[in-house]
Amino acid sequence: MEFIKNYSLGEIAAIIIFFIGIYGVIARRNIVKTVISIGIIESAIILFFVASNEGYTKAPIVKDTLESGNIADPIPQALMITAIVIGVGITAVALTMFINLYHKYGTTNWEKAKNLRDKVQ
Amino acid sequence: MSYLLSVLILLPIIAGIFIYLVPKKFSLYLCIFAQIFEVAISVFCLTKVQQAGMVFNIGGWQPPVGISLYADSFSMSFVMLASFLFFMFVIYNSSRHYVDRMFYMLYLTLQGLIAGIFLLDDLFSIFVLVEVSTIIVSLLIMYKRDSRSMYDGLIYLLINVFSMTFFLLGIVVLYKIVGTFSIRLITEITPQLTDKSTLYFPYALIITSVSLKAALMPLFSWLPKAHGTPSAPSVVSAVLSGLYVKGGVYLFFRITSALSVIDTSTFFLACGIITAVVGFMLAISQTDIKLILSYSTVSQLGIVMLALNLGDEGAVYGGIYHMLSHALFKSALFLCAGIIIEKYETRNVNKIRGVFKTMPVVSIACICAILAVTGAPLFNGAISKYLISHSANSTLTEGVLILINFGTQIYFVKFASIFWGTKKDNIKRTSINRQIVLLVLGVLCLIGGLFGTQIIEMLYSVDVYVELKEYLEKSLIYLVTLSISIALFRLGVTDNKFFDKIRTFDASFNTIALSLPLFFTVLLSYLMFF
Repeated sequence: MEFIKNYSLGEIAAIIIFFIGIYGVIARRNIVKTVISIGIIESAIILFFVASNEGYTKAPIVKDTLESGNIADPIPQALMITAIVIGVGITAVALTMFINLYHKYGTTNWEKAKNLRDKVQ
Repeated sequence: MSYLLSVLILLPIIAGIFIYLVPKKFSLYLCIFAQIFEVAISVFCLTKVQQAGMVFNIGGWQPPVGISLYADSFSMSFVMLASFLFFMFVIYNSSRHYVDRMFYMLYLTLQGLIAGIFLLDDLFSIFVLVEVSTIIVSLLIMYKRDSRSMYDGLIYLLINVFSMTFFLLGIVVLYKIVGTFSIRLITEITPQLTDKSTLYFPYALIITSVSLKAALMPLFSWLPKAHGTPSAPSVVSAVLSGLYVKGGVYLFFRITSALSVIDTSTFFLACGIITAVVGFMLAISQTDIKLILSYSTVSQLGIVMLALNLGDEGAVYGGIYHMLSHALFKSALFLCAGIIIEKYETRNVNKIRGVFKTMPVVSIACICAILAVTGAPLFNGAISKYLISHSANSTLTEGVLILINFGTQIYFVKFASIFWGTKKDNIKRTSINRQIVLLVLGVLCLIGGLFGTQIIEMLYSVDVYVELKEYLEKSLIYLVTLSISIALFRLGVTDNKFFDKIRTFDASFNTIALSLPLFFTVLLSYLMFF
C-alpha cells in the first residue's frame, strides 16, 4: 500500500466518494439518479483538488514550486470555480434533455427507454 | 503573428453569436464570409509553422501560470482540414429547411471549439472545451427533436461527461505531481521524476477517458448511436465522424508522447487491432447504411491506433495521414448517405437499388470515397495503409492489416450493392451546390492518393518513400482480396445467423458506463504489474 502514503486524508476521502459516484452511474437505472451520481463525482474531484497537500507546512497545493510559504497557489481555486460552473451547466442541460425524453417516452428507466426507442415516434 | 492562433478559435464563435443576432436572410453570407477568413488564416498559419512551432501566451503569461496555445505542423494540418471541411459543409447545407440561426450558432461554435482542442496546450482548458463541445454535439444530434435522437443524444451526453470526470481527476492528480497543466512543460518535467510509478494513477485516468473519446474497443458503444442516429442532420454526422472523433485520437497522441516515460504501446497496439476487427465485424452485420458507416469509423480508428503504437516514425506519419484521409472520405460518405436516405426514404441497404442511374454525380463521389476507404491503389487510403504496413516489421502485424482491409472490403461491397439496379422514378435532382461539394471531396481523395508522398513531405518536412514494387504488390493483394470479398458477398455470407445475432446486440447505458471503470482497472493493473 505504498502509493496511498502519497495522499492525505482529504484526498483519500475524495477518491472514495469518486468511486461511490461511479457505483451510482453503473448500478442505478434511473436517469435522474445517473445525473445525481455524476454530480457526486464532480464534488469528489473538487474536494480532492482543494484538499491536496493539507497538513504540510508549505502552502497548498504544490509542495515545491512556490517560493513563499505564506501564499496559496491561486490556480486550483480558479480552476475549481470553473469546474463547478461547468458541472452546473452540464446538470442543467442533462435535466432539460431528460424532461424532453420523459415527455416522449414516459419513463425514467434506461432499460425501458432503450426498449421503447424504436417504437416511440 | 502568433495572435492569429487565438483568432482561429474566437472568429467562428464570435461570428456565430453575431449571426444569431442579425436577421436570417444575412446568415448564410455571414457564415461563408467567416469561413473564408478562417480557411485563409489557417493556411497562412500552416505555412508559418513549417519552420518552427508557434506559441501564443494568452494575456502574456508564461505556461506554468498562464494558458498558452501551441501549433506545430501536426495540429495546424488538422485545423486547416477542419476549417476547409466546415466551409464545404456550410455550402452543402445551405438550402436545408432545418438550418436556422440557432443551427449556425451551434455549428460555428463547434468549429471554434474543435480548433481549440487541437491548438490548446493547457490540459484544463482542453477539459473545458471538450465539455462544452459535448453539450453542443448532443444538442446538434437531437436538432430535429424526434424521440429516437433524444435517447441517443442523452446517452452521448452522459457517457461523455462521465468519461471526462476521469480526465478531470487525472489532470488534477497529475498537477499535484508535476505542478503544471501545460503539455509542453509536462514533456520536460516527467523524465526528471525519480519515481515514475506515481504517474500510473493519473495516466490511467486520463488515458481511459481519452480512449473513450477515440472509441477504443470496449468503449465505442456510444459512437454508432451518436454518429449513426437516423434523424441527425447528415452534416452533423459528417462533422462528428470526420473531424470531432479525431480530437480524441489527437489528444491520445499528444498525451502519450508527453508522458512517454510510461510505455503502453503494446497494450494499445493490441487494443487497436481488437477495435479494428470488432469494428468491421459489426459493420458487416448492419443493414442500416448510416450504421455501416459509423462502425466503419470505429474500425478505421482502430487502424490509426495500431499505427500510432507501432513504435516506428513512418507508421506514425502513416497514421496521421490516415486520419486526414479518413476525414475526407468519411465525410463524403456520410453526405452521400444523407442524400440517398432523403431520396429513397429508407436506410435499409437491401431496399435501396439503382442509385447510380438515379444520381450519377453523387454516385461517382461516393465510389471515389469507397475506393479510398478500402485502400484502392491511386487513392489516399492506399498511401496511408502502405506507410503503416511498410513499417510493420513483423509478418503478423502485416497479416492483421490485410485481414482488417479484407473486412473493410466486405462491408463496402455490401454498401456498394445500392448502386446496381434499375432507375427509380420521381426523384428530384440533387441541388448543384451539394453535387459540387461531393465532387470536390471525391477528387481530393484521388489527389491525396496521387500526390500522397509529396503532401506528407510538404506538411511535415519528412522524407517518405513509396517503393513501386511493394506498392504494386499491395495493389495485387488488394485486387485479390476484393474479388474474394465480392465472391463471399454473392454467396450470401453477410446474411448468416451469426451476423444477425451481433446486429441485435444493443448495450444499455449502464453497460457502456461499466466498461469505463473496467477499462481503467485493466489499464492500471497492466501498468502496475508489467
